[in-house]
Amino acid sequence: MPGVTAAETERDEPSAAAPPGESRWRRYVPWGLGILLLLAMLGLQSQLYVGQERTVSAIFMFVALAQGWNLIGGFTGYACFGQVVFFGLGGYTTAVAMTHWGMNFWPMLLISGVVAALFGALIGLPLLRLKGHYFAIATLGVAEGMREVVTNLTDLTGGGSGITIPTVGEEATTTYLGNDGFYLLFLGLAAFSVLVGGLVSRNKFGFALRAINQDEEAAGSMGINTTRAKVAAFSLSGFVTGLVGATYAFQQAVIFPERLFDVDITVLMVVMVVIGGSGTVLGPLLGAVVLQFLSEYLRQNFTSAHTFILGAIIIVAVVLLPQGAVNYVREARRTGNYSLLANVRRYRL
Amino acid sequence: MARDQVNSFLQATVYGLLQGGLLALIAVGFSLVWGVMNVVNLAHGAFVILGAYVGWELNTKLGWDPFLAMFVAAAVLFVLGYVLQRWLINLVINGPIFITLLLTFGLDLLIVQGMNIAFSGNYRSIHTSYASTGLDLGSIRVPVGRLLAFGVAVLLTIALVLLVTRTRIGTSIMATGMDRGAARLMGIRARHVYALTFGIAAALAAVAGTMVGTVGTFNPASAGAYTLLSFVIAVLGGLGNMYGALVGGLVIGLVEAWAGLYLPGTWVNALAFLVLVLVLIVRPSGLVGRAYYAARVEV
Repeated sequence: MPGVTAAETERDEPSAAAPPGESRWRRYVPWGLGILLLLAMLGLQSQLYVGQERTVSAIFMFVALAQGWNLIGGFTGYACFGQVVFFGLGGYTTAVAMTHWGMNFWPMLLISGVVAALFGALIGLPLLRLKGHYFAIATLGVAEGMREVVTNLTDLTGGGSGITIPTVGEEATTTYLGNDGFYLLFLGLAAFSVLVGGLVSRNKFGFALRAINQDEEAAGSMGINTTRAKVAAFSLSGFVTGLVGATYAFQQAVIFPERLFDVDITVLMVVMVVIGGSGTVLGPLLGAVVLQFLSEYLRQNFTSAHTFILGAIIIVAVVLLPQGAVNYVREARRTGNYSLLANVRRYRL
Repeated sequence: MARDQVNSFLQATVYGLLQGGLLALIAVGFSLVWGVMNVVNLAHGAFVILGAYVGWELNTKLGWDPFLAMFVAAAVLFVLGYVLQRWLINLVINGPIFITLLLTFGLDLLIVQGMNIAFSGNYRSIHTSYASTGLDLGSIRVPVGRLLAFGVAVLLTIALVLLVTRTRIGTSIMATGMDRGAARLMGIRARHVYALTFGIAAALAAVAGTMVGTVGTFNPASAGAYTLLSFVIAVLGGLGNMYGALVGGLVIGLVEAWAGLYLPGTWVNALAFLVLVLVLIVRPSGLVGRAYYAARVEV
């Protein structure tokens, strides 16, 4: 991947600094590489066995989830530890509407995203006033609380014993997509999330979010409506996550509150973004691919100890690369200092 | 009929208070670490369960009484906590909050999965001859084990407050928590003090874990629930406020006991988080917290 890294590294530099002719084509390099990658993934599909196809679909899913979390956690710097609430909400909106109200999947996919986005705006208004750990815990509380609400609305959601979306026979509202269909859908979601991340990182909105991340008061005094920007970022990240949740629910067909509101899903998103490099577009992409691939490899080869090894890997990665792989490479290229030891010293007491 | 209702209410109240004391002991170390170092230790629940396993091992293999084994569990976890903070968490302590959250999450995975491999996922409990015998107070029954565990919890919380306010070590912990730079200028070794603080928190968690094993059952998977409860209680009580943790623990114990009596299904679980979110929005410094702790929490 060195080619991609090099191209991405140039991205943040102001285009005015480079000669106009050079900046013009350099700006489009990441987009071109992205499209090539998308085409390669489309081509890859025919080469995969069924099991591999599912694994790669899961990687796409986590790319989209990590990009979604990156909008609020990476760009804006608000450590949302309840992101899974959007995933679960999106999933249950689709599942309940398809099961009880005979809705088709495709409109419900969009509606689930919108429901998650609206919920994000609703809880964002009070919660985004909180800072640091308090925001993290309040969002965690919302996610855990929502899981209990869903568990207890037994008539609608089936409670703890789950809900089954009809996929065959007359009750099925939408033809089940099968492995091939879900591969394409998750690939589409991943591409959409990267596109959203790429657009946000380059436009004024993205710069407002970065300013809030660095110093919220200063950002406010520069004329940024911080409340509006934060709520919009939270809502947008909820929208992306809600879409993924809806798709996941349809893919699984049988869903449980324990799985759809699993706090581990949130933590995985955070780990992927932080290890890859938060506040970048490439970071969450790389983090999701590497970590999901590694996790799947460990699961297949070290059945009983795979979480143990994963924990050790997270610890080592956090200590060695606290700012994430992409940010580390960017800084090292700028300063010419590639020493990991110097990198470890930055946050040491 | 009305008499039965009064009785069951009183029984739930007593149970809630006893459980609340134990919850307070679980949360007080978590709150101390958070208040002093601004670290949310996601492995705290794993420390509780690890302490429970140390107590369980001593009880089943050597036949020790849990109220004796708890000292060994505390010593083991103190050393573990000291080492972890001194040579691992101190490496990233100045980073953004994701970093310490992720590091302790990695520790949590490691410890919980390690316990799964070493002790299996079966539910365990520490058996004594007296823990389940009941004292009858009128129509209310009070299990001896819970009463003793409550006593240990309250005594240790008070001991911690005395340690922090009356001793040299305690004041250096507080001073480092208030202003690390100034504390270091006064000759306090911050790395050592941080490690001590983390060790004390882990030791308290271990004692609480032994008590949890004595009055109920545990397995590695229950670690997460104790971490979450510690969050809720620490926030309710106000960060770093040890009496606050006691109040928060008792409130949560009572709320859960009463809700268990009157609410159907598992709505009781949602209630604790509802209380948490409301307190955070309305009074972020906690029920008995002071503005100082709210002010010093930074991103």
